[in-house]
Amino acid sequence: MLSCEGADFSKVLKRYDVDMQVEVTPEEMAKKLLPTDPVFHKVAEEVMYMRFKTVGPTVMQALKERDPLDIINNGLVAGMEVVAKLYAEHVYYLPEIMMAAKTMEIGIALAEKQVPGGLTPKATVVMHAAEGDPHDIGKNIAAVMMRASGYNVIDMGRDVPIVDAVAKVEEVKPLFISGTALMTTTMTAFPAEAKILQEKGYNTPVMGCGGAVNREFANSYDLGIYSEKAPQTPLIAQKLLDGYDWKKIRDEWDNIVNGE
Amino acid sequence: MAVTRCTKMAYENADDMIFGSSQHPVSYGFGLKVGAGYVIPEVNYAPRPGTEKDPEKLRKEYVDYISKDILNRCVTAGFPNVQLETEWVSQMNQEKLCAPVVAGQKAICEKFHEEYGLNCAVRQTIPDQREADEGLRPEVDKSEHAYAHKFFECAEFACENGADVFSVESVGGKEFADYAVTNGDIVAFLFGVGYLGAIDMTYIWEQCVDICKKHKTIPGGDTNCSGANVAMFMAGGYLDNDVQRTFSAVTRCISAARTLAACEAGAVGPDKDCGYEGPIVKAITGKPTAQEGKNCQCAHCDLQGNLIAQCCDLWSNESVEYHPEFGGTSVQCWAGSLGYEASLMNTAIQLGQEKTLRDLYMYSDRFRGPEAYVLAYDHAYMIGQAIAENGNDLYMRAKAAGLCGAKILKQGYDSKELALTNKQLEVLNDIIKKLEELPDDTDKFVEYCTKEFQESVPRYNPKNYGL
Repeated sequence: MLSCEGADFSKVLKRYDVDMQVEVTPEEMAKKLLPTDPVFHKVAEEVMYMRFKTVGPTVMQALKERDPLDIINNGLVAGMEVVAKLYAEHVYYLPEIMMAAKTMEIGIALAEKQVPGGLTPKATVVMHAAEGDPHDIGKNIAAVMMRASGYNVIDMGRDVPIVDAVAKVEEVKPLFISGTALMTTTMTAFPAEAKILQEKGYNTPVMGCGGAVNREFANSYDLGIYSEKAPQTPLIAQKLLDGYDWKKIRDEWDNIVNGE
Repeated sequence: MAVTRCTKMAYENADDMIFGSSQHPVSYGFGLKVGAGYVIPEVNYAPRPGTEKDPEKLRKEYVDYISKDILNRCVTAGFPNVQLETEWVSQMNQEKLCAPVVAGQKAICEKFHEEYGLNCAVRQTIPDQREADEGLRPEVDKSEHAYAHKFFECAEFACENGADVFSVESVGGKEFADYAVTNGDIVAFLFGVGYLGAIDMTYIWEQCVDICKKHKTIPGGDTNCSGANVAMFMAGGYLDNDVQRTFSAVTRCISAARTLAACEAGAVGPDKDCGYEGPIVKAITGKPTAQEGKNCQCAHCDLQGNLIAQCCDLWSNESVEYHPEFGGTSVQCWAGSLGYEASLMNTAIQLGQEKTLRDLYMYSDRFRGPEAYVLAYDHAYMIGQAIAENGNDLYMRAKAAGLCGAKILKQGYDSKELALTNKQLEVLNDIIKKLEELPDDTDKFVEYCTKEFQESVPRYNPKNYGL
């Protein structure tokens, strides 16, 4: 092997990941971000530190002292919002998001039982991986992020036939249906679904996602909108809730995702 | 086909590993001899959306456009050798769609070989559409899709219609890999990919090798694209923040113990381009390997674009959709890019400078990130040794590979050779701790994992792995 003694590898490559790493710890950020109310603080901490084994008892204790809806919004969801901030700051990464979301869901399931009439989700969305496509890891991550943002997610799984996807939209009338595809020959399911939906009189956005899909493709069919990365999906969903249609989402896409 | 586990290294030392040469060259197609002293460009492609809807359209796309364009460009630029790789789109699990493509590509290769003397061949890579919850084995899969049955049908279709070399990107263990990568769980990855994945790969390749032999097709090899590559792509580059690169590097080491299983069941190489674990497997088996790196920017950007060329026998572009570019069609442009890189490597061999070029490739990326660091050929060799020393035990060899890779990274960090972020280091230390805590007994490990992942990996069915 050649010797590399004396070689200056800073002339070869730059480790931006090391140079730019955030030195702040989750604990330091938590001090500024967690709720001040001691009960909500404790619940939010459970989510932030992904303590899915102890979040149950903590929520049960909190329910003795606070309103269940407040525990959800000011404790569990507040904790998840801290996690989202830590993720955005590159302090937390995907595994922390997944585990924190799991922790939050355990807590919500307990608190929700004491909310009269149950919890009302922001909206229902349908997610699936395209017919013929077994790749669904991106969809699973996006589903976690949507649930964590308060949406009811109907996850249809992988390799979902076009007719089944359309039938589900007709049945539940979701805010949007998203599809992921890793292959150029399976992503053609999305325009096919959109075409059938339009013919049936639905204006439901059909979000194209996944490794094979790009913005140009998703914008090439009526009803089509695009989400490049999982964290963008709740941002787009919020705009649909605000009344945007698929055309306006396309027009303002850059601003909506805002570098996410 | 009998399975022979690898317990010795094919190469006596790491320095003997070089691009273009393997210890067991393989001849096939029209004049190709892989691993016999020269590097061959391997061009991979995807048809345009919509062409899959009609058998004649699809045949035309693959044969009259894609294959012809590539072969023409090779003649135009004076490349003596080329391999095409057709990774079947999912619809090609039907004979009416795949058979004309396979036969047509064979015919056009023969034409160019006879007309111009261009040495060429086609690798046919069938789709593995099996689903863990529907059954990975025909006797378990009673679903409407019957993907486990179709898998072996596809192998027959490919071989009987003229595949020169056969490959697959198998999905055994994927139900654990997906969970492991998104949740940062190295034990789940070890169980799913290192142990269960190796069992599945052994199972399918024993049968695939028999099918290949029946039709005189070369059984090439497999890859852990569905596991370690998912980790690598999600770990991404310096701006990404999904998966830690120390985690993805260790998954790569574990995946080598799985990819090796195809060779042990009779695959003779070249293995698959997307198997970045190829240098580790080559060190153990001496069989030729296909690799991809800087000339696959059409498909993805990784952090070892030069390094991974260090001991390749085929040099690939991973995949590009067929479309026009300024310089011709996309496949022509990438054939040119690959062909010139192979030319450089072959010139180095002819001038006796191959080890120098290999080391230049390697050093260019050695410190770019953890994955490059463990795949540098000297480290890849060490990981290979860890596997071979435990070769007869599928669990222990995968664990040994992961631990060896993790400790190489730790040593690199401690010696200030490899920089790591605080988070990468934290995850690395946690991986070492978790792997060291695991039992040395396979039964205990399986028992532990079955219980531990019962809720988090509900798609796991032991019957898929004959357990």
